[in-house]
Amino acid sequence: MKVKEFMTTNIESIGYKRSAYHAVEKMVNRRIRCLLVRFPGKEKEYGVITARDVVFKVLAKGIDPKKIEVSKIASKPIVAIDQNTDFKEVAKIMEESNIARAFVCDQDRIIGLVALMDVMSAAIIARARGEHVS
Amino acid sequence: MWKIISGIFLGWSLGANDCANIFGTGVTTGIVKYRTAILLTAIFVLIGSIIEGPKCMRIVSNLSRLVPIEAFLCALAAAITMTILTYFAIPASTSQAIIGAVIGAGILSESADFSKLIKIVACWILTPIGGIIFGYLLYYGLKFIFDKTVPTLTYRNTIYAVGIIVAGCYGAYSLGANNVANVTGIYVGSGLLSCQMAGFIGGLSIASGALTYGKKVMLTVGKGIAPLDPFTALVTVLAEALTLHLFTQIGVPVSSSQAVVGAVVGVGIVGGVRTLNPKILVKIAVGWLMTPFAAGFMAMIFIYVMPA
Amino acid sequence: MFLEKIFSKGNKENQVIGHITKQIKLLCTACGFFKTALETDNLNLMRQIMDIERSADNIRRDIISKIYEGAFLPYLRPDLCKFVEIVDSIFDLLKDTGYRYLDLKLPDQLKSECVQVAFLNRRICEMLLITFESMLKGEDLREKILAIRIYEKKIDDIKFDLIRDARKIEITNFWDGEILSQFLSCLTSISDVIEDASDHLQIIHVSMK
Repeated sequence: MKVKEFMTTNIESIGYKRSAYHAVEKMVNRRIRCLLVRFPGKEKEYGVITARDVVFKVLAKGIDPKKIEVSKIASKPIVAIDQNTDFKEVAKIMEESNIARAFVCDQDRIIGLVALMDVMSAAIIARARGEHVS
Repeated sequence: MWKIISGIFLGWSLGANDCANIFGTGVTTGIVKYRTAILLTAIFVLIGSIIEGPKCMRIVSNLSRLVPIEAFLCALAAAITMTILTYFAIPASTSQAIIGAVIGAGILSESADFSKLIKIVACWILTPIGGIIFGYLLYYGLKFIFDKTVPTLTYRNTIYAVGIIVAGCYGAYSLGANNVANVTGIYVGSGLLSCQMAGFIGGLSIASGALTYGKKVMLTVGKGIAPLDPFTALVTVLAEALTLHLFTQIGVPVSSSQAVVGAVVGVGIVGGVRTLNPKILVKIAVGWLMTPFAAGFMAMIFIYVMPA
Repeated sequence: MFLEKIFSKGNKENQVIGHITKQIKLLCTACGFFKTALETDNLNLMRQIMDIERSADNIRRDIISKIYEGAFLPYLRPDLCKFVEIVDSIFDLLKDTGYRYLDLKLPDQLKSECVQVAFLNRRICEMLLITFESMLKGEDLREKILAIRIYEKKIDDIKFDLIRDARKIEITNFWDGEILSQFLSCLTSISDVIEDASDHLQIIHVSMK
């Protein structure tokens, strides 16, 4: 099963200069756990900010989220997986990079997001369809 | 020879009353058509009566020493008791009716053999227990076998349909083999009939009862006691047939109704669910308790009143 | 009567099963057409779905009459018929969605999500077919039904986004808005009915054990 079949297409992004507070607002509002961070430049540069980043790097340290930029706590570069990758490969990549979610791209365009839950769902569906899950 | 008429009457009411135990669930779950059910019952009851019927006749005929006219009146008393209970759609036991009547007559003539009565009563108590045990074991046993050999839907479907019919035929055979002694066993004891003749005539009378009057009771047994799916229906009938056949080998006529209720309870225990309708159970229990006493007293009155 | 049953070796039952399989396969085809028609804005292809719905209706009538001619135990018949009726209602829903589509101009912002739902609808139908075939074999259905639930949940998530995005669209005419709303509603409820159908398969499976 290809990752494009079980990814989420609903990706939210945020500008690198925005405050962490703005990021929190967006994540809580949309009930999502990460945001794509847009950096300037001719080459499309991206970072990612997750709920973990906010909680561990800002809230736990007692820093005021309104006073810190997203670019300071985002992770770069992002892990992007080609849309035609098999879900077993995706699982491996996520394990090697120790991440809970990864972006899915078509060439250099980000088209979706895949999380651990999506990989598990893909495993169930593959089994049910009779595709061999080793 | 006319004296066997009451026995024929008794056989008829037994057939009407008990054929529901065999095909009742099959008919109400729509697996067997009513007409097919009674036809099969009649045929296999007759076969059972002829082939293994004589096995239980000894104990009935040796219970009390009866002269032919007393035999006639005992059977009459039992038959009337059974008819009344059938009319009220209470599944009742012919075995208990006839034994009650015979003991009643025996008390009057002081020839009742109470040691044999103890063996008979013990078997009556063991009948529902046997039904429970067979029901419980068959449920797991058959489930295991079917899961391993017949998993597909269409085969399951055919197995259930065929199974219920085969179990029903076996049940009818067991009924004939075990219960015909209730109907004509006393005539063997009083010398009116040979064992084979008693089996044949008794079988015919039971068959005729099933053919003519079995419908009403059939609907009660099927719907009233427990909700059954095809598999539990199959297990129940098979358990009842096995129980009856077992007691035939022991030589004691027992109640098919009690065997069936035992079987249903046995299956119900598997699910751990209250599958039984208590009101109907109470109705059945009342019938069972009343039967031997009512028949016994009636027999005593008949014999007492009859001019010597 | 019962002798017929033994000697026909389940002929009637196999016919019914063949028809039901045909019905579900037709559903998969219809969903496939729908997705392609939506993706490529092919109105002719969309109209073919109406024809498919009519064929499906005929198949349904055949199945029901075969069942009541004597296939399967009477105990099973109502559940089987209910399943067939549910599958048939999916065709009706698909047809309604198609009609709405013919009547509107789908806004570009919503198109990719709608195509995604249509794609998942096709997948969930295929899963229904797999579940039905497993049920016939007497296999455990849990995995397959879980897969259907996963698809349904995914569609539900997209539905949430669809409605949110649809609200951003400016509607100038009440009926345009109404038809768009109905289109989205029909499109996203197809998976709910399929989930219903799969639950029914579980009922049939359990009642024969």
